[in-house]
Amino acid sequence: MGKPKILKLILKNFVSKPATLHYPLKEYRVIKFPYEHTLIEEDARGRHYADLTKCTGCSLCKLDCPADAIEMIPIPEGYEAPKINPRKIYPVVNYFRCVFCYRCVTICPVNAYITTSEYRLASPESIDSSQLSLSTLKKASGG
Amino acid sequence: MGAKKVIEVPYVVELPVGPQHPALHEPLLLKAYAEGEEIVKVEINTGYNHRGIEKLAERNNFYRNIFICGRVCGICNTVHANCYTRALEYLLGVEPNNRAKYLRVVAMEFERIHSHMLINAIMAEILGFDSLFMNMMLDRERIMKAKEILTGNRVIGDYMMVGGVRRDVDEVKRDKLIKLLKQLRPRVEYYKKLFIEDETILKRLVDTGLLSRVNATKYSFVGPVARGSNVRIDVRASDKYDAYGDIPWNVITYKEGDSWARMMVRWDETLEAIDMCIYALEHLPSDGNPVPDERRLPRKFPEGESYARVEAQRGELTYYVMSTGGVNPYRVKIRTPSFLNVIHSAILYPGYSIADLPVIFVSLDPCIACMERVAVVDVDEGRRRLVRLKDLAKGVY
Amino acid sequence: MSVIEKLNALKKYFVEEYIIKPNRRVYVFKSEDLKALFQDLIKVFGYENFYVATIVGTDLISEGKIRLDYYVNLLPDEVTVVFRTYLPRENPTIDSLIDIIPGVLSGECETYDLVGVVFRGNEFLKRGFFVPKEFVEQKIYPLRKDVKV
Repeated sequence: MGKPKILKLILKNFVSKPATLHYPLKEYRVIKFPYEHTLIEEDARGRHYADLTKCTGCSLCKLDCPADAIEMIPIPEGYEAPKINPRKIYPVVNYFRCVFCYRCVTICPVNAYITTSEYRLASPESIDSSQLSLSTLKKASGG
Repeated sequence: MGAKKVIEVPYVVELPVGPQHPALHEPLLLKAYAEGEEIVKVEINTGYNHRGIEKLAERNNFYRNIFICGRVCGICNTVHANCYTRALEYLLGVEPNNRAKYLRVVAMEFERIHSHMLINAIMAEILGFDSLFMNMMLDRERIMKAKEILTGNRVIGDYMMVGGVRRDVDEVKRDKLIKLLKQLRPRVEYYKKLFIEDETILKRLVDTGLLSRVNATKYSFVGPVARGSNVRIDVRASDKYDAYGDIPWNVITYKEGDSWARMMVRWDETLEAIDMCIYALEHLPSDGNPVPDERRLPRKFPEGESYARVEAQRGELTYYVMSTGGVNPYRVKIRTPSFLNVIHSAILYPGYSIADLPVIFVSLDPCIACMERVAVVDVDEGRRRLVRLKDLAKGVY
Repeated sequence: MSVIEKLNALKKYFVEEYIIKPNRRVYVFKSEDLKALFQDLIKVFGYENFYVATIVGTDLISEGKIRLDYYVNLLPDEVTVVFRTYLPRENPTIDSLIDIIPGVLSGECETYDLVGVVFRGNEFLKRGFFVPKEFVEQKIYPLRKDVKV
């Protein structure tokens, strides 16, 4: 039996830098590796939310969601509901149920969805699209 | 003075392998019966991963099902979605334009490359060759990145839509993809050379799990398993769906019929797939927008039946869709390649040692998630058919 | 097409012929002819030149029938043809092919477990390996149209 054919590759790996990255935990700086998070494409499918200035509350995204991750809930008080939204409801995406197929984005008749490439789901806070969506609305004046 | 009691010593040792076992990465129970080191019979017990996708598909509308079918199996999601989408296109009489067809082929061949690299890496790990496993997985990252550039996600593509694809590529992305593929090709050639030359690999793979030419069709083996036994079946060549009729490529067959031949079929197909992708990307036609407007697609489907076939990484995958008019399908039948390859694999094990069992099993590229929308129990076939287990244990054969 | 010409040798079994999309030929036969049909198919093509790809059982509740399709791929051109038969819904029973074509095992077991078609002579048929235990106890077949899951 001759020497293993892979030997050269293994020796090369001994001296090269590690191929993996550490997950970026800001508080946990014990290990001295560069904290980069994996570079992903800008148009990768990440968290998405409805732009409430465009959303008409038609519920089509809820009907066509393959994972039943979208719920239509009323716009809370204190926010100015736009006139194009007569029923005053808006879609909330539950990111834990969502499969990120972007069917809601492509089916939306008014192109109301804003997409991001934020793929990391680990979060200390509750995680749905309501905060992001409501941030697109103005607070009601004097309310 | 005759003996009053006879103490029966069982001839065979029952050895459960799985459903959670360090050597099997899939939830499946292989109940092996061994005489000493030699396996005499294997029962395949499934049912650990059943989700009832077919019934679920009947309750959802045609378009939601595209995404549900894409999630039957993670590794082969694009081919599942493609097969189902084409079944719908046959029903509607829609045909995508050439650019969409080429992009579909690129997405599916990307998936073939990463799937074949994964199963070859797992084979290396099963053999105890972990450094090879790590290196292959590292090079596989390139193709995962390419898939992310093309479809928007590393694994689940969600790339297929009735009448086309869901994303287009521009010039910048196209050059990036070609560059990644050209980087990957010498690496795959190197690994293929390792599989041909390395003695550790050859000693474990050659002449284990022999499958003869006649048994391959008699027991309905499909995909690289059949092609490793010199059965020339490939849906891409016979159905010429999407752009496979336009792109030059070859069907790979090996004559040996053992585990090694199956892995070599996969390596050669990976190289073919890389060449196909480069060709398709370089000759990408520009006859209009490949992305259909999903809002304008018909919600209701006409009455009818259609039967689509696709060559998934593991073999022939078929979707039967029946519509009675309306928004939901009446019946969707999914037959995945692993369903045939795994369940009928009981004939491959007898005669080999216990240590060969994971090797043979992995050489079939098993995918339980695909297979188990159903579950079945298999009992041994062929030569030992008449000898039942109870009789074996009693010694009355 | 030579394969289709070869199939003409089996013409005596076929009641009806049509095409389902995209171009799969369907041959309807009487359920009691199943074994004879496949024995002749083996004679004409030989074990090396065809395989049973899929067995599809469909519950046609409005007609009171269960439809059983055998999708067979004929080599070397890989032409897919469909052998179709209808069984009564109350007592769907048909001969098993397992003794002549062992490759039907998975399809027959699946169809039995999901739709409840009994394949006479297949000793490997078993309930409860795919469906959960409570379905077996209630004796329901989940892909029948009147079953709610």
